[in-house]
Parts: sequence; C-alpha cells; structure tokens
Amino acid sequence: MSNQIAKLGVGLLACFLVLFVQLNRVTVFGAQELKDNPVNNRSILRDFDAPRGTIVTADEVIVARSEPTPEGSRFEFARTYPEGDLFAHTVGYFSLNLGATGVEDSYNAELAGRTIDLSFRSLDDLFVDRDRVGDVRLTLRADVQRVAKDLLGERQGSVVALDPRSGELLAMWSWPSFDPNALATQDFSAANDAFALFQADERDPLLAKTYRERFFPGSTFKVVTAAAGLASGEITADQPVYPVAREYTPPQTNRPLRNFGGSSCGGDLFDILRVSCNTAFAQMAVDLGEDQMVGTAESFGFNAAPPIDLPAPAQSVFPTDFEQNLPALAQAGIGQNDVSATPLQMAMVAAAVANEGRIMTPRTVADIRDDDNSVVDEPEPTQWRRAVSAEHAAVLRQAMVEVAERGTARNLAIPGFEVGGKTGTAQLGTDPPRSHAWIIGFAGLPGQPPSVAVAVIVEGQPGASEQTGGQVAAPIAKAVMETVLAAQGGGA
Amino acid sequence: MILLRRRTELGLIVVGALITAGAYALAGLGRDAEIPANLVPFLGIVLGLLVTAHLAVRRLAPDADGILLPLAALLNGIGYVFIVRLDEAQADGGRLAGLQAMWTAVGIGAFIATLLFVRRSRSLERYRYTFAAIGLGLLLLPLLPVIGRTINGSRIWISIGPANFQPGEAAKIVLALFFAGYLVERRELLALSTFRLGPLHLPDPKHLGPILLAWGVSLGVMTLQKDLGSSLLFFVLFVVMLWVATGRVTYLTLGGTLFLAGATFAYTQFSHVQDRVAVWLDPWPVADDEGYQIVEASFALADGGIAGTGIALGTPTRIPEVETDFIFAAIGEELGLIGATAVLCAYLLMVGAGLRVALRAESAFDTLLASGLTTLLGVQTFIIIGGITRTLPLTGVTLPFVSYGGSSLVMNYVLLALLLRISDNSVAARAPARAGA
Repeated sequence: MSNQIAKLGVGLLACFLVLFVQLNRVTVFGAQELKDNPVNNRSILRDFDAPRGTIVTADEVIVARSEPTPEGSRFEFARTYPEGDLFAHTVGYFSLNLGATGVEDSYNAELAGRTIDLSFRSLDDLFVDRDRVGDVRLTLRADVQRVAKDLLGERQGSVVALDPRSGELLAMWSWPSFDPNALATQDFSAANDAFALFQADERDPLLAKTYRERFFPGSTFKVVTAAAGLASGEITADQPVYPVAREYTPPQTNRPLRNFGGSSCGGDLFDILRVSCNTAFAQMAVDLGEDQMVGTAESFGFNAAPPIDLPAPAQSVFPTDFEQNLPALAQAGIGQNDVSATPLQMAMVAAAVANEGRIMTPRTVADIRDDDNSVVDEPEPTQWRRAVSAEHAAVLRQAMVEVAERGTARNLAIPGFEVGGKTGTAQLGTDPPRSHAWIIGFAGLPGQPPSVAVAVIVEGQPGASEQTGGQVAAPIAKAVMETVLAAQGGGA
Repeated sequence: MILLRRRTELGLIVVGALITAGAYALAGLGRDAEIPANLVPFLGIVLGLLVTAHLAVRRLAPDADGILLPLAALLNGIGYVFIVRLDEAQADGGRLAGLQAMWTAVGIGAFIATLLFVRRSRSLERYRYTFAAIGLGLLLLPLLPVIGRTINGSRIWISIGPANFQPGEAAKIVLALFFAGYLVERRELLALSTFRLGPLHLPDPKHLGPILLAWGVSLGVMTLQKDLGSSLLFFVLFVVMLWVATGRVTYLTLGGTLFLAGATFAYTQFSHVQDRVAVWLDPWPVADDEGYQIVEASFALADGGIAGTGIALGTPTRIPEVETDFIFAAIGEELGLIGATAVLCAYLLMVGAGLRVALRAESAFDTLLASGLTTLLGVQTFIIIGGITRTLPLTGVTLPFVSYGGSSLVMNYVLLALLLRISDNSVAARAPARAGA
C-alpha cells in the first residue's frame, strides 16, 4: 500500500499546487481587473466610512466637507455640500451607492489621505489615534461662480472662465445643475430616487456640460480659422483683402453660403473678424485646404481630450475626413458642418490668443494641504498645446480687441481694461429660428498679458442673427471678467 | 527519541500560541489602535488549552507524531482570531467568539477522550459493521422529523434542545473507520480481476456491492440533504481508500466514471446544481444574486493582494457566511497571499504528516485508516478553498480547524487524536522489536 500512499501524497500535493496557482491569480495577477470591476464598490465603501478632506474654493468658501454623524448612525461621517448646486459639476458628489464624480473622484486618494505624501506623514504618528486626510483647495472662485450663476439665470447654458497664464479655472457653471446633497445622502433609497429624477430630466442636469458636452461653436471658431491662415503664411494682418460679397459659392456645388441677414462684407483679416464675415472665412478655409485647417484646429486642442484634472472630459471635434469635400470644409471654416466644441475648449481658444499662443493645462485644483494646513502637493502650470506662434497670437489678440471695441462684441468692453472677444451664433434650425448664442473673450490691464479668458454659451435662443451672441452672451462674460479682474486687484 | 518528539511538540505549540496571540494583538490594533487589554489572559488560556492537550499526549500517546497537534493548534488559533474579529465587526455579533472558544475546549476534551478510550487503533477494526450502521444512521438523522433542521437550504442539522449539531461531520470519520475495516477484510478479493467489462478488469460483481452502495449513499446525501460538498467528500474518500487498499487503478477509473454519471445526473435533475456550475463559470451576470458570495470573496482576495490589508483593516464581513465556509477569503483579504499561502502550507504539512503516519502504521487497518483520515482533511480543504478561489464549483464545507462550527471542530480533533493514536501504536510496536534485536 505504500506505493499508493506515495501517489496519494503526490496527488494531494498537486491539488494544493493548483490552489496556490489560483490564489496567485486572484490576489495578485488578476487583482487589478477585479478591483476595476464595476460591481466592486469596496474601495468607495472603505473611503465612505472614513474621515475625508474638505474642499474649499480659492476664495475660502467651503464647498464640501465631512461631518461626524450623530451617535448610532450607520456611518461615522456624512459628506455635505454647503453651496448646494453651485459647484456640483466640478466638485461632484461622493456617494456610497452612486459612486463619485468630479474632484471627489479625481482627487479621491488625496481627500482620503491615501497618497504617498500623506501616508508617509502618517507613519510618524503610527500609534497616535489621528487621521490624516488631504484638504483640496480649488482654483475656482465662489464669487465668480455666483456671478455666472446669477446672470445665466434659468437659461440652459454654460460659463467657463480661466486664467490664460496658468490654466487655472476660475468658474465653471452650467444650468441646470443639481444638488449633490441629494445624492450623497446616507438614505440610499432617497439618493436613488433623486438620481432617477435627475436622469429623467431631458436637460440632463447631472452632466457637466462645461467640459463634457459639445456644441456647434459657430462664428467663435473663426478665430481658429484666422490662426490657420496666419500659420500658413498666406494671410497677414492686411493681406489678402477679401472682396465685399453677399454670398460665396464653394467649388463642387451650386449652393452658395450667405452672410447673416443677407448682408455684404469683405476686407482684410481685421475687417472680416470684426463683422464676422462668413463668406470671407469660408473662402479662407477652402483656400488654406484641409491639412492646414485640421493641423491648426488640433494644435488648439481639437480632437484630443484636454488633460484637465476632472474625470471624463469630452473631446472637441474638428472633422478630419473631408476627402476634398470643399463645401464641407467651407462650412467647417465658420464653425458649422461637423465642428463641435466644449465651452472649455472655446475658452481655451481665447486663452491661447491671450497667452502668446500657448494653451496651459487646464486644472481646477490649486493645491492639497494636510490638516496642519501645510501644502503637500501643488501642481505647477504646464503648457498643453502651442496653438500659434507668439507673433501670430499678437495679431489675433489685436484683431479680437477690435471686435470688442468696434465689432460684434462691443457689449464685452470694460472701461480701463484691454478686452478682446468674438461672438458666435450657431444656428440650430430655421423653423422657428433658434441658435446657440456664444461669446469668447479675454481681458486684462492694457499692455499686460490678459489675466482672464472666458467662454459663454446660452443654448437654444430664439432668432438667428449675428447679433445674438453679442446681446445674450456678452453681458454674462463681461460681468464674469469684471469680477475676476476685481478679485485679482486690477489684473495682478 | 520519544522525549525529542514531545519536546518538539511543546516547542511548536508555544510558537503557535505566540503567533495566535500576536494575531490577536494585531486584530486589536487594527480595530481601535489598541493592544487588547486581555492579551495576557488570552495567551494564558490558549497556552493552557494546548498544554493540556500536550500533557495528555505525553501521558496517553508518548510516541506519537510531534507536529500534527501544533499545526492543528495554529490553524485553530488563527481561525479563532478571525472569528473574534469578524464577529465584532457585525451588527448582531458578539456571540460566535465565545461559542467557538467553548467548542475549542470541547474539541480538546474530545481529543483527550479519544486518546483515553482508544488505546489501540486496531481494536476498532472489529466494530466495522457497527460503524457502518452508526455512520448511515448519523447521515440519516437530519432527515428525521422533529429533530432534523434545514439551515441555508441544506438539511444536515439536528437540534436537540438548544444545541444544533451536524451529524455528517461525525459520519465522515465513522465511515472512514468502516471503510478501513471492510477493505482490510476484503482487499485481496477486491484486488482479483475475474470479470471484464469492456476495458475494465473488475473483481467478481458481488464484491462490487460496497462501492455501488457508497455511490448510492453519496447520491442520496446530495439529493435528500442538498449537501454537495459532503457528498463529494464521501465518494472521494471511499474511492481513494479502495484504491489504496487494492492498488488497482481500475477502481479509480470506475470511480471517476461513476462520479461523472452522478454529476451528470445531478446537473440535469437539480436546478441548484446547475446554479452552482453556472456561477462558477461566470458569476458576473448574477453578481447581485446567486453569485454575490463568490464575487465578494474574489473582491476580498483581490483587495488583500500580496501582503493583505492587515487584520481588522479589511471589509470581509461583506461576504455572507464568512465565519464558516468563507473564512479563507477573510484570511486572504487581511493576511494577503502570504498569509493564505502559510495556511495552505500548514494543511500540506498536516497531510504530509498524516501520510507518514499511514506509511509507518503497524497494520493494514491502521494504514488504511490513516490514509482515509488524511484524505478527508486534505480533500475537504481542497474543496472549500477551491470553491472560494473559483478553482472548483462552490460546495459548502468547513475549513478544518479554522471555520466557525462546533461539530466540525470537535470531530476534526477526534480525527487528529486517531492519527496520533495510530502513530503512537506504530512506534510502540517497533520499539520492543528493536530492543529485542
């Protein structure tokens, strides 16, 4: 029988080896896949019942904090959002059953105190009963955000303001928004009900449209077309002079492209940008060709997800498959056809012009602090894209200043500051005529680099005239920029 | 040499007790950052229980193997620490830890009693048919009205007064005793092949009765009690013992064929068997439902990674039945791959020691019994850890010595005592021979 016993031993050893191999697969080699499984909410559950850092705005307004719950509650801490819907799209919510969004998601490790910096500190006091969490300070300002909210009112739309020099976002507001307290509540069935209600709303209040929804940019895109012209060398500040025309018929078609209201326009770059001349820019796009247009659009950040520190940013789109379809290229040159952009993207177009052609990496968080209020992590401003050369950016800046001084963006002007802008009206339909009213712009002390850039879209406005953007969107952008300039103490 | 074995045992027991106390202290640190105030009394009680068992072995089986008891003590200790930790983390907890402590004491009592009453393992051989009757009786007990209980879908419990008991745990050992006795008597006949069935060389069909009976009993247990794990365990036990006794591979082939036939029958007849297999192959579509337990166990193991979260720093209480069948997932989460592998190694060493006892046993009955008991221990461990890690379809059995559960713990201590008794007898049998030479 000893022969069989030896074999039995080998057999049982083999069984245990199989277990060991499988154990390695589950705990080590396949572990990441299991952790990433959407069913797996272990990490969020772990963080949910733990202290969590506070989120404050650049102007010291608390927008998210964890408060101890009353004795006997199921969880020790409750997450609350004192400003309600004001920062819902950027700060997001932190919920056990619904997950986390916004800064609550992208800075989860810091807020929970799990980054290497924060945990190494906690080694010092391993035996002291004290929790280390990171507090997050936003670049966003509550005062600017409130102005954006008040002026947009109950109109669907978005406002983005940023500092073109650093990429720091100053305001990101969309209406409709939602109250994150309704989703972060520990009454899970109430949270689920609230979530279902928000989801059922066709205006999609849960979606952060500032950086996750694309719209036709309309004439605001002409800034990019102008940049493409300058970059190609075929267009300068005063050459060529486009003929004054009522309509332009691209090659390959009989269908002419018209100016708004049947008007006539033409002239040099400054002239055509000032009056937002469709015929001239459409012809410019055709003359420059597909490669130049795509190249410049992509150097402005189109067709790439911006490296913002928020989850799931949308890519703005400039088509790359014209295949010599020149009528389509002509339309794309004036921001129509399949061109679409997030409000963030269009704010970055203005910022590129304002910041000598450089687009800085957009971000919402200024620094991370520990509970002694000392900074543990402070991201440095970095350049994301070189949109145009500094020389060409200076020409575009001057052109946009003229638009705000004497063109369609006159409502943007702020006395005592250098202000540039570009309006846009993206037509949605003709019966009844509706359009998105756009404006992009920048402002700063004269002769100094502009210290704020904005993009405002008010969606689905009645009418379709080139004036719409200037009338509807410009006052919001102006007030937002004024608030920023005041907060900066005169542009410092 | 004899004293050396006992000294080794005592030394290992102290090491095991210190590891247990260390784990207990870590659990306290993990829970509320404090070393438990009762750490020293705790260590005292653990040592007291184990030293009592050790002294009993010294007195009653002085020549027995020296590493089986410390390994069992270590596993029991780790299991107990985890049961305390899991119990405290649950809303309605606080009850299991005390019960498990009591069952440990009862288990050690049963261990000593077994050593006391079974002075010579071979003396059990002649009661083989009594054991057969007792074993079948124990298996059938839960099916009786009044005392039989169905818990979690399995009718494997009996209740007498306030106490619940799983007679199947005892039946495993009693049936191993019967198989050993029966096979020793019949092994020559069973090893002859007088009958051919296709490629199989079989003994006279009349000797095949018992294997078919074992198969029928296994199927019956599965059908009537819905206890897949025990059913599988009985069948593997019998086929392995038959093969060890006769050395005929034909029995493994025949056993495998019958197993496949039984498995096919069960799969086609019972929806709960189909569910188990479906969940094993792909638990994700039913992750909120039938697959919840195994999915949560996988997440727990993945969270543990190589080094684990630390005792009382994970969230294993999300797994249903974590203190009993799924305690290995909690160990994997909080002690990581390293700790889980250490537990695996402890079982492997026990299996190795058990087979060594079988090899050196003084009689064929002892050899067969030791092989059978070791197979029970090893295969039961394989079935449950394999189920938790999705190596096999999940069939609920306890993890020997570690899981919460009185019946299982007490009967495993009896199993351990029988192995030690066989080991002691074999050395004692040889010693006079050497002295005489």
